[in-house]
Amino acid sequence: MGDPTLTIVGFEQPQSQRVRTSGTVRLRNDRIGQAQVDELRLSEQRMELAGAYSPTDRWTLSLMMPLVHRLVSAVNLAEADIWAPGDLEFRARAVVWRDRKFAPRHLMSLIGGLEFPTSSIERDADGVPLPLEFQAGTGSWDPIAGASYTMFSDPWSVYASSIGIFPTQGTADTKVGISFRQTVLAQFQPWHFLAFQLGAEFRIDQPGYIAGVRDPNTGGHITYGTFGLVGLPHDKVLLHFTTAVPMIQRLDGSHLEGLAITAGLVYEI
Amino acid sequence: MRFSLAIAAVLLSMALLPNCMRVTDGIEVDIAYQPAAMSAAIRTDLGYRVRLERAMIAVGRVELIRCDNFVLNLWKLVAAASAKAHEFSSPSSLGVPLVIDLMESAGVPLFAGTLRPPPGRYCGIRVVGMPADQDAEGLTDENLEMMQNSVLIAGRVENEMGEEPSALLSEIWEILPCEMRFDRPLVFDGPVVESVSIQIDHRKWFDGIDFALLDPSAVQQRITENVRSSLQAVLPSEGDGL
Repeated sequence: MGDPTLTIVGFEQPQSQRVRTSGTVRLRNDRIGQAQVDELRLSEQRMELAGAYSPTDRWTLSLMMPLVHRLVSAVNLAEADIWAPGDLEFRARAVVWRDRKFAPRHLMSLIGGLEFPTSSIERDADGVPLPLEFQAGTGSWDPIAGASYTMFSDPWSVYASSIGIFPTQGTADTKVGISFRQTVLAQFQPWHFLAFQLGAEFRIDQPGYIAGVRDPNTGGHITYGTFGLVGLPHDKVLLHFTTAVPMIQRLDGSHLEGLAITAGLVYEI
Repeated sequence: MRFSLAIAAVLLSMALLPNCMRVTDGIEVDIAYQPAAMSAAIRTDLGYRVRLERAMIAVGRVELIRCDNFVLNLWKLVAAASAKAHEFSSPSSLGVPLVIDLMESAGVPLFAGTLRPPPGRYCGIRVVGMPADQDAEGLTDENLEMMQNSVLIAGRVENEMGEEPSALLSEIWEILPCEMRFDRPLVFDGPVVESVSIQIDHRKWFDGIDFALLDPSAVQQRITENVRSSLQAVLPSEGDGL
């Protein structure tokens, strides 16, 4: 393999004919509306299956499909329990610059991709669409573009990325706003089988619209602080766990995001 | 490579999974207006006979009142004076404007909507009469005046002897907040369907008015007070519907 750095899918350096698969579970909570008046609470578990293939040592192609379980609770104790597929996502990452061919220490990559409208827009008992933040996906064709930088300096590594998602008109007359996501992650790997991660994620969203009417609780920005662990229990298996804590929330309307937890397994084929 | 194809097939087949949704209803309160049955003429307590030709009321907002929130309710009562024509709805408030023609809908219940309040004790309901906006339900070309009025009354008044009939026209443009207490608190601690009927008894709108002595502005003032007190919230008796 050459590079001993533990990397989850999407962060690795491409190696020709490398194939990785992963299963990830993401848990998050979200609250929209005024407490005791019109608040909706979301508890979401998102299971993602993904595969990544590097045909050369500069390209990585990945495909990710989420299956989403959501429990939406209203102030009047009404509940909607929903299982639904999310949006299938395809990404291509191309390394456009590296400081050297063998065991590079610096990688600059460009990222492009597309989210497919495989999710559907969920509605409540009255047929009113749930808030966009509570949908399993955008229900639209969403191009993705961005760039990333990775630095490897054993036992340290740094990953930074900036991604923009540009949603188009959705299949159910929805229009999710453009979203920019920045990630900065520092990793310290004192042993070959365990690494610690500390980072920050920043997201800024444009407002979203349903049937031409602005969803008041969309838009704004949020910054998470993240702490993670990456372990290597077997040569071909990598486990990771990340907790993301909202640090600064400036989301529009009455919208509060809670703690997010991610746990996953990567299998190297 | 075969393994990779299998992974791709699994991912794509997940996209074809059907949605599965289970909805559990929560606390729901159906609201209906119940105008009193209409007679050809209304006999007032002072002996006048009022023959109505038009009687309409426009309602802009309906909301439940918590038992433990009296100070806030007083503030809302003041704030209602600056209410807008088209109110926003929330789970414990209906903001759908409605024009009720009491001549046509007398005796017929009119469904206003469903409130979905949080658990708690609710001791009453607030109905705010206000001029309708252009997309109010019940607004037609024949009653466009309701965009300027909360209540419109037109008819004729006769004295006790049936002599000297005079025209009656009352146009109340001001916002009319009306608070009604239930005869028992509504206590919600779990999912339930409840209903509240708001009875409008326009037969009482002219009580206490001496048309021969009072000037038109005093008549209008008294009618306004009577309209507010003629609304009554009625709960089904506790054994009903269970």
